[in-house]
Amino acid sequence: MIKRLPLLLLPLVALLANPAGALALNINEDYKPQNEFKLDTWIDLPGPFDLNKAVFYVFVATLLTTLAMVLVARRMTQRPNRIQTAVEAAYTLMRDNIAGGNMDRRMAAKWFPFIATLFLFIWFSNMLGYLPLPTNTEHKVDIAGLQIPSLALYAATANLSVPLVLTLVVWFAYHIEGFRAKGVIGFYKGLVPAGVEGPAAGPIFAIELISDFVRVVSLSVRLFANILAGHLLILFMGGGLVVLLNLAVAGSVVLGLVTGTMAVAFFLFEIGLVATLQAFIFSTLTAIYLGGAVADEH
Amino acid sequence: MLAHVHSAAAFVLAAASGGTTSGKEESSNFLVSPDVGLMVWTLLSFVVALLVLRKYAFPAISEALDKRQRMIEESIDAAAASKAESEALLAEYRERLKEARAQADEIVASARKAGDEVQRSAAESGQAKRDELVEQAKKDIEGETRRAIQEIRSEVADLTVAATEKVTRRTLTAEDQKRLVEDALSELDFSSLGERSN
Repeated sequence: MIKRLPLLLLPLVALLANPAGALALNINEDYKPQNEFKLDTWIDLPGPFDLNKAVFYVFVATLLTTLAMVLVARRMTQRPNRIQTAVEAAYTLMRDNIAGGNMDRRMAAKWFPFIATLFLFIWFSNMLGYLPLPTNTEHKVDIAGLQIPSLALYAATANLSVPLVLTLVVWFAYHIEGFRAKGVIGFYKGLVPAGVEGPAAGPIFAIELISDFVRVVSLSVRLFANILAGHLLILFMGGGLVVLLNLAVAGSVVLGLVTGTMAVAFFLFEIGLVATLQAFIFSTLTAIYLGGAVADEH
Repeated sequence: MLAHVHSAAAFVLAAASGGTTSGKEESSNFLVSPDVGLMVWTLLSFVVALLVLRKYAFPAISEALDKRQRMIEESIDAAAASKAESEALLAEYRERLKEARAQADEIVASARKAGDEVQRSAAESGQAKRDELVEQAKKDIEGETRRAIQEIRSEVADLTVAATEKVTRRTLTAEDQKRLVEDALSELDFSSLGERSN
């Protein structure tokens, strides 16, 4: 390590010797990092139902979710191995904390499969997003004459459509539950917090009504933006910035070393915390919305 | 987390504005514009996942967890029951041991008492026997003494008869002799002889 230090410092020395030359900006106009998230049609189907990268990720995430859970469920033993222990821990978390902690017993039993599937589906989608898969059809690699798409990171949840449709399902679900429990008028009356009376009730009701609709945006964008931001950070730190800024060699090496280190840190942060945390937040908020829709006090 | 959202939003805005200025709207707006096809596929996939998990995964996991919980509860109950049982057994054994000890003490005490009794009665009976023997011996001695005196008496009488015959050279009738001796003897005192032999 000590012997290699001068070698590592060489680009820095070059950069300091000629800052103007090394830092000369020559932005790469051809590089479009957002294209990593662009959905090229893979298989053309009638209407808007073309199969593309995002659909592929949704399918793989669905397959992973169902296969993993069903396989573990079919091999449940009284002396669990590590995977079963992890699944049991997740199950208990979903049942007792996410569903049981935010809804009454009846609602928790009724909506547990929905909330648990949401959590698992989002979690598998998020985690799948940190696995490099050969999905970059824009840049192909020639391997033994075969045009293989290059490896890329992508996540279905980094596309607004996926969290948005899940959010819409949640939004309709808790409205229907609320209407059934209290009636349409009762539900909207319940939006005004207890204790607010007189002239204040009008504006408060308006704010609460707006906030009810804003939940569609907040719930979906929270998940989408977090996952997208994580992928963008990894993308830029893991080389995207170096390519985009197109510095001279010395500057690129220094920038690459710094951002490359940060890329590893961001990757670990995303895979270790954000992926699970966002799945947890989404399903917990769903449970809170559903529980709140039927609760006496809003 | 907030920084995350902000940076993403900033990028999205930058990308959107960049897209409009460069005249290539479709190249960047796709990031925030919902795709109906993808939404439908996602909904279908989610529903499939929900149905499969609800039927094949969650009940099995729930059952296994419940089963384990029941087993744990049962084993705790069983442990408590066996502990109570063993405590009861222990108490019973202690009680029995106490009883046995008391019985043993009683047995020892009664044995000792019996022994004492036997010893005492043996001593008593021995004493009585000895007294009886001594008494018997006394009686025997007295009898023997009396008999010996009687014998001596008759011996003396006979001797006296013989001696008198020698002296007188004649023989008295037996009756005379006897009367004479008897008279003589009655004058003699044999009591001192009896005392000495005694």
